[in-house]
Amino acid sequence: MTTDNNKVLTKKDLFTVWNRWYFSTELSNSYDRLQALAFCNASSTILRKLYKNDDEFKEALVRHLEFYNSEGTMGGMVQGIVLSMEEENAVSHAVPGQIITGIKTGLMGPLAGIGDTLVWGTIKPIIYALGCTFALQGNPIGGVFPFLFAIITYIAGWFLLKFGYTLGKDAVMKLMKSGTINTVITGASILGLFMMGALSSSYVSVKTPLVFEFENANPIVLQDILDSIVMGMLPLIAIFGIYFAFTKKKVGYNTVIFSVIIISMIASFFGILG
Amino acid sequence: MDVGLALFSGFVYWLSSCKVGYTLESSLGSGLFIGFMFGLFFGDMITGLALGASIQLVYLGMISTGGNMPADNALAAVIAIPIAMKSGLDANAAVALAVPFGVLGVFLDQLRRTSNSIWVRKADELAQKGDIKGIFKCAYIYPEIVIFFLRFVPVFLISLLGTDSVISLIESLPEFIITGFSVAGGILPAMGFAIILITIGKPKLLPYFFIGFFAVQYLGLNNMATAIFGTCLALLVIFEKSKKEA
Repeated sequence: MTTDNNKVLTKKDLFTVWNRWYFSTELSNSYDRLQALAFCNASSTILRKLYKNDDEFKEALVRHLEFYNSEGTMGGMVQGIVLSMEEENAVSHAVPGQIITGIKTGLMGPLAGIGDTLVWGTIKPIIYALGCTFALQGNPIGGVFPFLFAIITYIAGWFLLKFGYTLGKDAVMKLMKSGTINTVITGASILGLFMMGALSSSYVSVKTPLVFEFENANPIVLQDILDSIVMGMLPLIAIFGIYFAFTKKKVGYNTVIFSVIIISMIASFFGILG
Repeated sequence: MDVGLALFSGFVYWLSSCKVGYTLESSLGSGLFIGFMFGLFFGDMITGLALGASIQLVYLGMISTGGNMPADNALAAVIAIPIAMKSGLDANAAVALAVPFGVLGVFLDQLRRTSNSIWVRKADELAQKGDIKGIFKCAYIYPEIVIFFLRFVPVFLISLLGTDSVISLIESLPEFIITGFSVAGGILPAMGFAIILITIGKPKLLPYFFIGFFAVQYLGLNNMATAIFGTCLALLVIFEKSKKEA
């Protein structure tokens, strides 16, 4: 495929690894090794192609069964870099296994951080929330809208794998250190926050039915008064109440859920919320 | 007892948790898609979608860091949606009914990941022999068989034996409890948004959240409009930042 003598892997080989990775990333996830088995399984057939020597091949398999965990989409880049290193090693025998493992474990953390923010913290909630908008209008598109997220990330991960493979570890290290990636994250966070503000405004609903009746005067409708001060005051209090419960009080997910349910029951019993 | 519904619920839950496809699995397990599936099953797409979307909103910001899932929104949806559709419970109340099952689902996932340690150990031995077909089975086939039993069977049984009693329980509840569930269902999406704020919101970026929030409150923008304005806003900031760096 290529004129470079050291390059034996074809685009098809890379695509095989990506598919084997994408379709089984979390399937074999265990507490002790997380995505290690998926990583090893993804590259196993290509490692066989690279290493004609049985011992080297087995060594490579064992190497990729070591602990590994990253965000799967951004992690495509790690797959790409590892493939280029294994390929080089298969030809030159000059890349020690510890170096490959070192690069893997060095990159998986920072890339997981970026991937969690971009993929799971921004792209997913925006797509799903737009899906909710369609669904609540009764449009069946809303029901299948989440698959847009799967398609986008599947393609993105494949490009990241090719990117990692072609440019290699040095380029990726450089990219991570440069400001570009931070600018992208800031931009994504701004879009994400803006959208989440808008969506929470539409979808968090807290209202009070309290009305104070007076003789010879108009009744005071509490909700109208709150609206005239700041629109959406109660939903905002709910969001930031939970926000501070998570950040300042460090309470768990389940505590929040059950507190909300209990508070709602009490408020509903006394007619404060409804 | 509704065997057809129980089989279908079990199948949907297995599909939503089958872990095939890193991000595809999230789409298959989304409240939206599960609502869509039950909409088809009951022949009432509007209600199915509304229920699915309402449950989805609670779990919008959830991220499984390090593979630990904080709650199982698929189980929440698979149990609550059919009950709500059969009993006519409103979408907000269905949300509050759903969340406890979301907690329960986490235990099933913990069982799954514990059992996966067996396959990793087995793969260790197979790697020494260079048996990649065996490794493939450990990475794919065996965990999927475990998933089938962990996901299909409990939901099949819960749906078969529990649905009717939950529905009669709901029908006997006093009015304020049902209203309380509705109130909780309206508040719970706040948790989804709070989690996103924590994940992506550096404190100095929080004003963008408020701009979005009040743009809808005061200007009544719809979601597509906010997506367009939000993208422009983000691009402006990116251009400004990269100009400074260049």
